[in-house]
Amino acid sequence: MSQQTICTNCILPATFPGISFDETGVCNHCQKYRGKKATGEIKKKYEEKFLDLISHEKRSSTYDVLMAYSGGKDSTYTLDVFVNRYKLRVLTLVFDNAFISPKAEKNIKKVCAALSVDTLFVRPSPKTLYRIFRTAAQEELYSAKTLERASTICTSCIGMVKAIVLRTAIEKEIPFVGFGWSPGQAPVQSSVMKTNASLMQTTQKAIFGPLHNIVGDVINPYFVTAEQFAHPEKFPWNIHPLSFLEYDEGNIIKRIKEIGWEKPDDTDPNSSNCILNAFANHVHRKKYNFHPYVWEIANMVREGVMTRDEGLEKIEPPEDQKMVEYSKEKLMADG
Amino acid sequence: MNQTISKIRSFIFENFLFDADESALGNNDSFLEQGIIDSTGILELVDWLEETFTIKVLDEELIPENLDSVTKLADFIGKKSC
Repeated sequence: MSQQTICTNCILPATFPGISFDETGVCNHCQKYRGKKATGEIKKKYEEKFLDLISHEKRSSTYDVLMAYSGGKDSTYTLDVFVNRYKLRVLTLVFDNAFISPKAEKNIKKVCAALSVDTLFVRPSPKTLYRIFRTAAQEELYSAKTLERASTICTSCIGMVKAIVLRTAIEKEIPFVGFGWSPGQAPVQSSVMKTNASLMQTTQKAIFGPLHNIVGDVINPYFVTAEQFAHPEKFPWNIHPLSFLEYDEGNIIKRIKEIGWEKPDDTDPNSSNCILNAFANHVHRKKYNFHPYVWEIANMVREGVMTRDEGLEKIEPPEDQKMVEYSKEKLMADG
Repeated sequence: MNQTISKIRSFIFENFLFDADESALGNNDSFLEQGIIDSTGILELVDWLEETFTIKVLDEELIPENLDSVTKLADFIGKKSC
């Protein structure tokens, strides 16, 4: 067990930025917490908003949804929801970050075949990705706030995924982009939201700038262009259904197993698709002395999605050293 | 107005700048361009605005012109509270 002070209500540790505790050991985030933000009624309202949009959005393109698909548990379930609950025509976009686990690759193939959806693979040069991840392991590339929510490696990868998904949806005129964010990763208030071009243009700079500094213009094709930003009417709606649907990990796994998904044994406990995750977490913990998933999991504990003990189980064990070394060697060998 | 600005600054320092010095943020500095707040942080900011000032921020109001500095935020809150 960890020796450091941890909130007695959630799982945030004393090393988490800006944290303080009251005399009973409850952190300031739990003290400010005003009960479940996403009640059944609020969730229903957002699902209705989405259903209303489905019926109104023009269906002139070949697909209704461009889904960011990783082959992981949450995005597999989200894909099933789009196809079977909402009866939408989905194109999945798989961003190959050069570290997709072989088991996750199998899952991607099996699930896409079972659901009869098309898949678009985006596979940047591994050399480019290695340079980005190697730098992200060594330097602070983004704002201090991003460190609360993810490792710098993950922020780099997800930043590219979000940008290429948006760009592809604009190019293919697909009205919705779908993500499998868990309730701890994104609030219900953002679960059905029109992508705001002007806001995106400014926030894209925060990711694009540091990555461009590392690898130069080869990164350009993965980001939204100035010309595209000039046409905000072409921007899609952002949908992440797990924020407005019931999130029960047991039920999710049960359902996705029915469509061929198998739990990978070649990733760390906080990822069901990425082999690099163990190294990314290891680097983050070593540098900042808290787990990069702790914020997301603390949110889920507070919201009652999982118990405090279940949350601690996900963040306390050290990373598998073999997995850490595997990624480290792969990244450093290509230097 | 001054009270609103002071509330906004406290929130930004407590949640995004942590132990930084007061001089780290001018009232007209862009949160987004300086990397103080990212796209997820904007949602956190909106959540706080709605709760603290009892206003509803609409999707179409999520633009840098309304949210991207202490001064812009204070002006936006002023307009919404009228």
